[in-house]
Amino acid sequence: MTSSEPDVERAAGIITRGLAAIVDLVVVLLIMSALYGGLVLVRLVYSPTAFSLPSLNAVFSTVMTFAIAVLYLTACWTVSGSTAGAVTMGLRVVGRRSPRVSPLVGLLRAICCVLFPIGLLWVVVDRQRRSLQDIVFRTRVIYSKRAR
Amino acid sequence: MGTEVDLLKHPVVAAAVGTAAIAVGAAEAAYRVAEKVPVFGPLMRRGVVGLSERGNQWVTQSADQFKALVAAVAVGLVDLVLDEMDLNALVRERVDIDALAADLDIDAVINRVDLIALADKVIEGVDLPAIIRESTNSMTAEVMTDVRTQGERADDAVAGIVNRMLGRDRDNR
Repeated sequence: MTSSEPDVERAAGIITRGLAAIVDLVVVLLIMSALYGGLVLVRLVYSPTAFSLPSLNAVFSTVMTFAIAVLYLTACWTVSGSTAGAVTMGLRVVGRRSPRVSPLVGLLRAICCVLFPIGLLWVVVDRQRRSLQDIVFRTRVIYSKRAR
Repeated sequence: MGTEVDLLKHPVVAAAVGTAAIAVGAAEAAYRVAEKVPVFGPLMRRGVVGLSERGNQWVTQSADQFKALVAAVAVGLVDLVLDEMDLNALVRERVDIDALAADLDIDAVINRVDLIALADKVIEGVDLPAIIRESTNSMTAEVMTDVRTQGERADDAVAGIVNRMLGRDRDNR
């Protein structure tokens, strides 16, 4: 993660990035279900007699899922550059010149990725393998240097 | 053996033995006669008894000393000899260790060993959790590396197909 050798810092393609996105989606869903389970337990603790499973509000749930996803992606990208999916596939999000993404850029990129995930497909046709979000926020997704 | 028998049967030897026997018999008879002499007899008997007692005492004492002396000399001698010899080489040369080992009753030895306790000791000495952790770690790392490499290859394959479809030069990236 120190020196930037051109052969090491190759931009990642659609397959690895897609798989990483799927892993991240699973992680976000796991976080959501953990939150839901926690909510159920709290309700059970406070009113054990009048307990019923909370009904899912579709709008609230969707908004919550989006919020969790944005928070998760922003935190991961700004702290280490890698989400769980990116670690699995050996990827890292970096700035155009700096090895880290600034919090603001990370937050905006996360919002765009969550709201417009289809922008990832631009990777396939772009010569530098950039997604639409990468083009807008001047970020890159590279194969992280492997520990040999 | 044969010479001994011949020697015993030799007439000179027989004659000498006969003479000695006669002399002993005569001395015995003379002693008996002397014993019976009124004043001289008891005195002589007492003297003889005292002499024999002294003799016995001397024999026992000196025998002990002699034994001790012989033992000390023998020990010193054996030590000297052992110092001079390379016992390992000697055993290697003279003893058929393989034959000895073949005759060993190993089952009896094993029966005397508390194998479970021994195994427990061995397992205690081996850090099994660390080994398991290490092997799982390396296995996970291998799988991860494999997944990443395959992903990278798949990326390149897709990029190649797209480049061909769009009629791009592959190197111009």
